[in-house]
Amino acid sequence: MEKVVIIRYAEIHLKGKNRGYFERVFSNNLEKALRGIRHEIHRTSGRYLVANFEEEMIGEIMRRIANVFGVHSYSVGLLTGNDEDSIFEAARLVAPKAGTFKVVTHRGDKHYPLTSMEISSRIGGRLLGANPTLKVDVHEPQHTVYIDIRESGRALVFGAFIDGLHGMPVSTAGKGLLLISGGIDSPVAGYMMAKRGMTVEMLHFHSYPYTNEAAKEKVVSLAKILSDYTLVTRLTTVSVTHIQEEIHRKCAAELNVTLLRRFMFRIAERIAYREGAGCLVTGESLGQVASQTLEGLTSSNAVVKLPVLRPLIGFDKEDIIEVAKKIGTFETSTLPYEDCCTVFLPDFPAIRPKLSFIEAEERKLDVDALVEEALATREIIKF
Amino acid sequence: MIYFDNAATTRPDGGALQRAAEFITELYYNPSARYGGGFAVSKSLSFMRESLLKYLGAAGRYDLIFTSCGTEADNQAIFSCGKRGNVVTTAGEHAAVFSACSELKNRGVEPRFAPVERDGSVKIENVLSLVDDKTSLVSVVHVNNETGAINDIAAIARAVKEKNPRTVFHSDGVQAFGKVQFLLPQEVDLYAVSAHKIGGLKGTGALFKRKNLPLSPHIYGGGQENGLRSGTENTFGIAAFAYAAEEKFKSLREDSLRLRAYREKLFAGLDPSVFTRLSPENGSPYILTVSAAAMRGEVLQRMLWDRGLCVGTGSACSSKNRFSRVMTACGYREDVLDGVLRMSFSPATTEEEIDIAVGILNSTVKEYQRNTH
Repeated sequence: MEKVVIIRYAEIHLKGKNRGYFERVFSNNLEKALRGIRHEIHRTSGRYLVANFEEEMIGEIMRRIANVFGVHSYSVGLLTGNDEDSIFEAARLVAPKAGTFKVVTHRGDKHYPLTSMEISSRIGGRLLGANPTLKVDVHEPQHTVYIDIRESGRALVFGAFIDGLHGMPVSTAGKGLLLISGGIDSPVAGYMMAKRGMTVEMLHFHSYPYTNEAAKEKVVSLAKILSDYTLVTRLTTVSVTHIQEEIHRKCAAELNVTLLRRFMFRIAERIAYREGAGCLVTGESLGQVASQTLEGLTSSNAVVKLPVLRPLIGFDKEDIIEVAKKIGTFETSTLPYEDCCTVFLPDFPAIRPKLSFIEAEERKLDVDALVEEALATREIIKF
Repeated sequence: MIYFDNAATTRPDGGALQRAAEFITELYYNPSARYGGGFAVSKSLSFMRESLLKYLGAAGRYDLIFTSCGTEADNQAIFSCGKRGNVVTTAGEHAAVFSACSELKNRGVEPRFAPVERDGSVKIENVLSLVDDKTSLVSVVHVNNETGAINDIAAIARAVKEKNPRTVFHSDGVQAFGKVQFLLPQEVDLYAVSAHKIGGLKGTGALFKRKNLPLSPHIYGGGQENGLRSGTENTFGIAAFAYAAEEKFKSLREDSLRLRAYREKLFAGLDPSVFTRLSPENGSPYILTVSAAAMRGEVLQRMLWDRGLCVGTGSACSSKNRFSRVMTACGYREDVLDGVLRMSFSPATTEEEIDIAVGILNSTVKEYQRNTH
């Protein structure tokens, strides 16, 4: 008898002829998620089995599988011989100590001498005999013992289905570049795109010495948390210090943020091309701040050709916070290190900047040179 | 790197480190042990205790309780003696005292905060007016850690005792001990100090306690420190503390005079169109606090670090806790509060460092102005 984890996948079965590809990527992702833990992954009809691990690692394995997109549900189970006694021994371990239960059997091996119903009733009867505090309730049981008779002469016995993250396996839906700040929204945006199978690379803009090392460390911590889901373990950083200084010095104060965002998008697009990313991803939500009005979004879109995906565009802040708490980024996001210094914040930012005004102000700057200069400050942090 | 943040912590004295090493590698015995080794360490400990008491002229009149830091010493004083009625302190206290006094509110004791002057010092009458017959404790910082202002705690303590003789008087002496000439007057019941501000190691503090003053322990256990602070004594930290204190007190007067001259030279060299002085001239010679008007202290601090000068600041870029509580209590406008820089020296500070620092400070603020205006 061996402890195993049974993993069932989510939407992959919808993918028709591409199914093989999705399954391969999914199993690669499981391997990546379990890196550093001794284990084997076996594929059996419609599910995966994680086996041959040290039993004390079970908690960590479960924690990591809980973060893999594409997992529909998973269970801890026992793999045992398919003779009745072995199944009963396993069922006794899986069965509850008290309360109502039923046994559900699935027979993958159609040559097995007993029918599903027969197995369920025999094992159920023996469980009752062994533990008189149990009661059978086939309609609304508190617990269910599942038995799965496999063709290999083995049987799986398990208790509960734990709900997985669902979604699509990451890296089945292209690559995007997430603009990640230290705030609450951008990690959530990255999570949402990864959930649909996107490979999410990350780019962070800092403005040292106007922002501090702690703020940058905070973003690295966020990127690390996000990497549990996205399986991407690196972060690119670029300094926009000089750009901020130039904008502050030469352009209308109310456009500070608008102009800076246009620079960020230009730089991000250049890095996206280099990394083979097909889109930019941001945590913008309509109307949340002055630069996230329709006019603000339009003015940033105007400087790039790549599509900009904004998965949070219609989310309220509370909805975003809820996801941030669920995925574990909220606490880090709310640490008090700011990613933008108050030095450059205008008292009254423009809420509906006209593109012609923006472009006129931007002509005061040597845009190409500033972009090149910023790109030269690029650093890659691996973790 | 020119290190002008010695009020935060200072480089441990080389001799103190050697002394500490001796108590780590050779004399590592537990001073409570009853065999020869333990007895030898215990004897050294009493010797070091006596010498530390002696520097403040307190030998025979005071006990010294070793603690893990200045904050612990302050906390023990406040929570032991501030058990009823009200407690009077100032708006210019270090957080170790300020937060502890604020906590008293949750324990049914009313904290009262005397306002401070522009330089961070407190006027006797502003303390006295808060003291009444229900005041169980008064706590006034000796040297303000953000401005260097010196409070005449001897006079304040005397006045407090005249008004209510049952009131216990405590002072946080962390920035004064080994730096400012001072002997403990009988009216000061409790006095907290720390080792790492004068060349000792972090993790070592002490509380001077007037003999016969009843105090309660905050850590219970094996009954060390006369039952007032249990836990095996940090012998190597105490050894380093005693050594560092000896060094500092030996040359205290000369160091003070020299550093006062340096402090004045540094301020005289600063661009007057940018820097305003916030520290008083009669304050601690170890601290010079200025404000670079309308600039962000935290940004300047990082720029200075990158150019080889390490200073402290009283402001942050963050919108939360942007300004120092103490500097705000001094009554400055926001643009002054934003640009607060604290330069703090040590006896190892040289005149050459002062000259270089002046150059770095003046050129860095110019650069800051160029980049942001």
